[in-house]
Amino acid sequence: MSKYSIKNFKLIAAGLAMMGAISSCDVTELTPANLIPDQEAFATAARINSAVLGVYESAQRGFYAGAVQRGYPFGAANVEQGDMRGEDMYNDQLFYEITYVGTYNPNTANNNGMWISLYRMINRANIVLENLDPALANGVLTQAQRDQFRGEMLFLRALAHHELLVHFARPYSDSPSSPGVPYRTFAINDVPKVPEGEAVGRGTVAEGYTQLMADLNEAETLLPTGNALRASKGAAIALKSRVKLHMEDWAGVVAEFDKIKGSYAVTPNPATPFRTATSSDNIFSFVNTEASNAGVNGALASMYGNPNKGARGLVKISPLIWTANFWLKEDTRRALTTQSTAGVYTDKYIDPVTYTDPNVILRFAEVVLNASEANAELGNLDAAVTLLNSVRSRALPASIPAFTAAGLGGKSGVLTAIYQERRIEFLAEGRRWADIHRLAGAGVIPGVPAKATSRSITSIDYYTGAKAIPTDHSIPYTSHLFIWPIPLEEIQTNSTAPIEQNPGY
Amino acid sequence: MKKVLLGFALSILTIVSVLAQSKTITGRVTSAEEPEGVPGASVVVKGTTQGTITNLDGSYSISVPQDATVLVFSFVGYLTKEMPIGSSNVINVVMDTDVKVLNEVVVTGYGTQERREITGSVTSISSEDIENLVTPSFESQLAGRAPGVQVTTPSGILGARPIIRIRGVNSLTSSASPLIIIDGVPVVDDDRSSVNASNPLANINPSDIQSYEVLKDGSATAIYGSRAANGVILISTKRGSSGKAKVSYSTVMGFNEEVSRFELLNGDQFVEIANEKRTNVNAATLANPGVNTDWQDIVFRKGFTQQHNVSIAGGSEATKYFFSLGFTDQESPIVANDLTRYSFRANIDHSISKKVRIGNSLSYSLTEINGLNNGANSLSGAIYNATRSLPNVPVYDEANTAFDGFNVTANGATTGFGTNLAGPDNNIPNIGFVLKNNIYRSRAHRLLGAAYGEVDIITGLTAKTQIGIDLTMADDFQSLDPRHGDGRSSNGSVFMAYNPVFRWNWQNTLNYQTVIGDDHNINVTAGLEYQFTNYYNFTASGTDFSDNFYRFRNLISGSYNNQFSGGGYAEQGFDSYFGRFNYSFKGKYLASFTVRNDGISDLIGDNKRGTFFGGSVGWRVSDEAFFNSELISDLKFRASYAEVGNTGIGTFAAFGGFSPVLGGAGAGIGYARVANGALQWETSKKFNIGLDMTIGRVTFSADYFNNDVDGLILAAPTPPSLGVPGNSINQNVGTMVNSGLELRAFANVINRGAFSWNTDFNITFIQNEVTNLVQPLTGTYNRTEVGGPIAQLYGFKWAGVNPANGNVLYYSGENIVQLVGASAWRAYDPANPGVTTNAGTSPTQFFLGNTLPKWQGGWSNTFKFGNFDAEIFTRFSGGNYIMNESLRGLMGLGFSNNHASILNRWTESGQVTDVPRLYSGRDSNTWLTSAANSRFVEKGDFVRIQNIVVGYSVPSAVLQSAFNGAIGNARFFAQVQNPFTFTNYSGLDPESNQFSGQLSFGVDWNVAPVIRTYTLGLNVGF
Repeated sequence: MSKYSIKNFKLIAAGLAMMGAISSCDVTELTPANLIPDQEAFATAARINSAVLGVYESAQRGFYAGAVQRGYPFGAANVEQGDMRGEDMYNDQLFYEITYVGTYNPNTANNNGMWISLYRMINRANIVLENLDPALANGVLTQAQRDQFRGEMLFLRALAHHELLVHFARPYSDSPSSPGVPYRTFAINDVPKVPEGEAVGRGTVAEGYTQLMADLNEAETLLPTGNALRASKGAAIALKSRVKLHMEDWAGVVAEFDKIKGSYAVTPNPATPFRTATSSDNIFSFVNTEASNAGVNGALASMYGNPNKGARGLVKISPLIWTANFWLKEDTRRALTTQSTAGVYTDKYIDPVTYTDPNVILRFAEVVLNASEANAELGNLDAAVTLLNSVRSRALPASIPAFTAAGLGGKSGVLTAIYQERRIEFLAEGRRWADIHRLAGAGVIPGVPAKATSRSITSIDYYTGAKAIPTDHSIPYTSHLFIWPIPLEEIQTNSTAPIEQNPGY
Repeated sequence: MKKVLLGFALSILTIVSVLAQSKTITGRVTSAEEPEGVPGASVVVKGTTQGTITNLDGSYSISVPQDATVLVFSFVGYLTKEMPIGSSNVINVVMDTDVKVLNEVVVTGYGTQERREITGSVTSISSEDIENLVTPSFESQLAGRAPGVQVTTPSGILGARPIIRIRGVNSLTSSASPLIIIDGVPVVDDDRSSVNASNPLANINPSDIQSYEVLKDGSATAIYGSRAANGVILISTKRGSSGKAKVSYSTVMGFNEEVSRFELLNGDQFVEIANEKRTNVNAATLANPGVNTDWQDIVFRKGFTQQHNVSIAGGSEATKYFFSLGFTDQESPIVANDLTRYSFRANIDHSISKKVRIGNSLSYSLTEINGLNNGANSLSGAIYNATRSLPNVPVYDEANTAFDGFNVTANGATTGFGTNLAGPDNNIPNIGFVLKNNIYRSRAHRLLGAAYGEVDIITGLTAKTQIGIDLTMADDFQSLDPRHGDGRSSNGSVFMAYNPVFRWNWQNTLNYQTVIGDDHNINVTAGLEYQFTNYYNFTASGTDFSDNFYRFRNLISGSYNNQFSGGGYAEQGFDSYFGRFNYSFKGKYLASFTVRNDGISDLIGDNKRGTFFGGSVGWRVSDEAFFNSELISDLKFRASYAEVGNTGIGTFAAFGGFSPVLGGAGAGIGYARVANGALQWETSKKFNIGLDMTIGRVTFSADYFNNDVDGLILAAPTPPSLGVPGNSINQNVGTMVNSGLELRAFANVINRGAFSWNTDFNITFIQNEVTNLVQPLTGTYNRTEVGGPIAQLYGFKWAGVNPANGNVLYYSGENIVQLVGASAWRAYDPANPGVTTNAGTSPTQFFLGNTLPKWQGGWSNTFKFGNFDAEIFTRFSGGNYIMNESLRGLMGLGFSNNHASILNRWTESGQVTDVPRLYSGRDSNTWLTSAANSRFVEKGDFVRIQNIVVGYSVPSAVLQSAFNGAIGNARFFAQVQNPFTFTNYSGLDPESNQFSGQLSFGVDWNVAPVIRTYTLGLNVGF
């Protein structure tokens, strides 16, 4: 009997010990180590700066096919897609075949990747935008900090929407009333905001341009001056110059040029903007680093570089422009290339091992040529040619005479020379598509010009004239293929108000 | 405990005989397992209902009519035995275990239950049939062995995890894999390698496993509450029993080979086809005649495979032990892929007193997997590469010493051109060089153990506490050659990672069982359980190596120019309170009720907690007085209903916010996930009715089930233009029903003298239907929509080839359109096929077939003849469709090798064929590569001879004389796994599958062919 009671005592003691252990055993009140909750993300100025940097990150390293890779939209892909839609860079592999030969459809990855990654970047920017003024009101941010951050976000939002309008909508120069792209100015960061976001339709091209000009005008007033590695007042102005060129607002283009002509300068050496990220020519670039870049399947140095220098060389300079007689043999920009027995490669991007070449988005040379073209359109031919020469002649020996308006044969000759100069100066910078887009819309060219036939340029002989260049893949402006389709996923997953597909797809 | 229950059974199962009797026979029923007597066995006079059952010591006494000739002895778990009634009045019987019918005591959640009293749906699988088979992990051998359990091994890469589905796919985007519990501890089931497919269950030595119990219906699984939706597999490892130490050794050796290879063009055929593609688009030709190479020879091999296991089991009355050592080394038929595992186990049980018991299960294993890049779309992916490399180019170039004698271009960018003017598409590397020089190694040290203490507090009341741990210390090493292949661009790369995961699990249970008034058997379990799991990892890598010398064994400081690091952390916790009440009235009326309340850290606020319950009833009709059938000796009806949950919803699924992002402009934070505090548990409402019946020698069971899954957690897609992270938000937005029928029949068909034949057949019919969904879910190949099953193939409908011009034809709605040029769609008029100018619309998409099998099953036949034994195990499945993406890829129109069937391409007017005229570079529109395509959709029905085993046991007399008793038993065997498959599927294997998720399924895309294994083996007992 006594033994029994001792045992009970032991049991009670064991029970009490267990109760103690259990009550200290809370395993369900856990929080993630890698997620800062929404309500804490804008608690300090440093964190808000981090959130701003997060928008740059989404611009430089967006999602492609469900993973962060390949430099979508502005880490590298804007350049590659912009070039592959044009004729001056040549596709030598299957990698960019769909874009190059024009067999994209609403399911193909490259066009969908641009759409998805651009809108991901836009929503990140909108989230920051919505949280800045509350942070200012709470004293977390100073007015100056708030203004800079807001300006940066508005600039990036406009940059993204312009890229969308150029790829997925008809040019402003042809039909401002044709369908644009959804332009949301509010954040989607909560479940109830989804239907609100879905309700935003495509609007018109004109509405899109109006909104992005509003964003840029405000950004211009808010942003401080600065170097090319973060958005500055100069960047907003330079982008306005580009946008106004697409809108054929010639006077506006010249006005934007005038604002910054004293702050930047074209570099004498054409390689400088690609070797020194903050040269006088660089207005805005996205930075790539060893640890943050487009990787082997996206980085410009990897895709465009010479295989003999360790790159993959999937894209070469097209023999069409290499053999064009408007690109003079003496031009020092021809030296910004390398050759192998297989062809000619750009040398603008030189780090195929760690992929740290910045992606140059806005250069002063573009603003100059924009102003040159606008002046020509306005009839200021001498001003136009002077600006044109400021870019061209720097790359030519003194023995080559500068252009004159008369020598070029008047307005149309001046314009042609400007168009050609843009192809040379911005070769391998992805600008060709935007020019085709607006010029085809304006009726200057009939659409996407013929390209060197994909996978046909197998040797340097095509660059020397020893072999005739086969051509193919032109797309008339009237074809539905001239602009990209809206991703099928966009239409299928919008359960309340799906936007309309581009006609023909 | 067992004896108590059997005593109880004895009292209610006695069959009262009222007939006149004239002779009394007595005897004892024993078995190897129960030499002290088998209680409760039935003894019946053949052809009558007269009978009795044995007492606690196995003895019986029965009066039989004078004309009776045979007594039938039977008991669950044993083969029925017939004994002639001779002149003797004593008949002693030794029963043989029926390995097909399961042990009389079945492991259930947090306890055990007698098979005959189970009212839920539980299938047991003894390890005996499968433990000698050679597979990297145990679960692939469960395929076809149990109704309702689908196990698919989708590729031949060792380390790739099989897909396990119990009663169908029960979730859309949350986990659909069952909970796996080893010796009471829920084990971590996450692949912790980032360089290889590294199945965590491959860390378990299959030879240590005694039995598997698969809990399928709601009632059986309800005790696991929130984790039960996908079913539960309970694994019990071997334990010692009192007696002399038994030492066993088993070994198996043999080789692995691929079941099949792709049929490709040879070099000469390639030149013809490649140039024709170019000529047809007016482009210059690139190919010139060279050699004839089959690059598959470089990728495939005969892989040697072996395994060895030694175990010692024994003990005293107080202490029982089981120790084992295991070693396996398996080489896949894919070069560079092998798996090695060393394992150790110690299971000990000790009784401190009659009322207090302690024990443990402990195992350690080291698993090393050498893998490779087999990405379906990776340039160095072994299958992708070998099937695309140009066959008119040699593999080797002995003079090219800079690349170890492989044929590689001087700059290392791609495979040498040979006589061609261009290299292969996408500059794919020489796969021979890649496989020889790149290393993908994952290792895992795994410690899995539990210690328990058990106290009988008063009669019938037992308290038990158990602490289990599951620790995986996984590390990765990936090293890429700087000269050629994936490492070239970074001038050599070494990546290492340490990816541990640690779980502890603490269970406390109280069990009380009693018999009230002789007839009411009550068994109550109550308990609480806590579990915490911590995943963390860090990585380091270097690129741009100073010298290839430093690359091979580890990161060596200072040998590379660029260094990177990373890391991550996640944790998850549960707390649970549960109870179960089992009731049986005379063994005839059975009932069980279970309730469990779970809290989980992944959800927010009140939604963290969920209560789940289940109940079941059973009726043993054959025990009713009115039931009087000579034919049917046992008949039980069962029914159950339960509501259970699914916790495989992702760590912190409901939380949102900003994650760190490293941009070029600096380290920032990026919006990573939209929070949804309203997120709740997925709930499965599981209904099951079934019956178990024994008719003569045949035992039959049938179950109908209906599983209604509610509040499916879905990463619900949002339009990409909203910019929502991942274009999805976790929401409870769907319902789905799985229903089906499971049938199983097994029998001892022949048992005559030295020859016996046992057969065991099961088949499951299953149907899946999504009944509610926020919107259709469309992936590249699959679409899931209300009213249909999950993940139907969805894509373009092939309409053939225009015989007039070789243009490819597809359906656009009802109409047929043809591709004219690279991307223009024009109407097709069968009456005027040559007309290509009529406007047409783009091809549209259709449902092309369901991907989930509608029926599947297995059929085992075992034979014994004297000392010989044999098993043929057949598995079958069907009613599903497969998208043969591998074939579509091999019909590519670029400059790479093709499937041999491309030779049927259209070449002349009027030709009827299924391969259009070949135009270089027009893949995306010719084959409409962005979605499934009915030309490549095929039926997936198959019948597979899964295993054939033939064994010979050396007669004990021979062993006795030869080894003087040192060897107790010895069995030699030869086996072949996966020898034949009967199917109309044209790909390598109808189970090949690139995707293991639920929404993308049924796509055969450049996976390594599954493995066929030939082995010889030996089991010896000392």
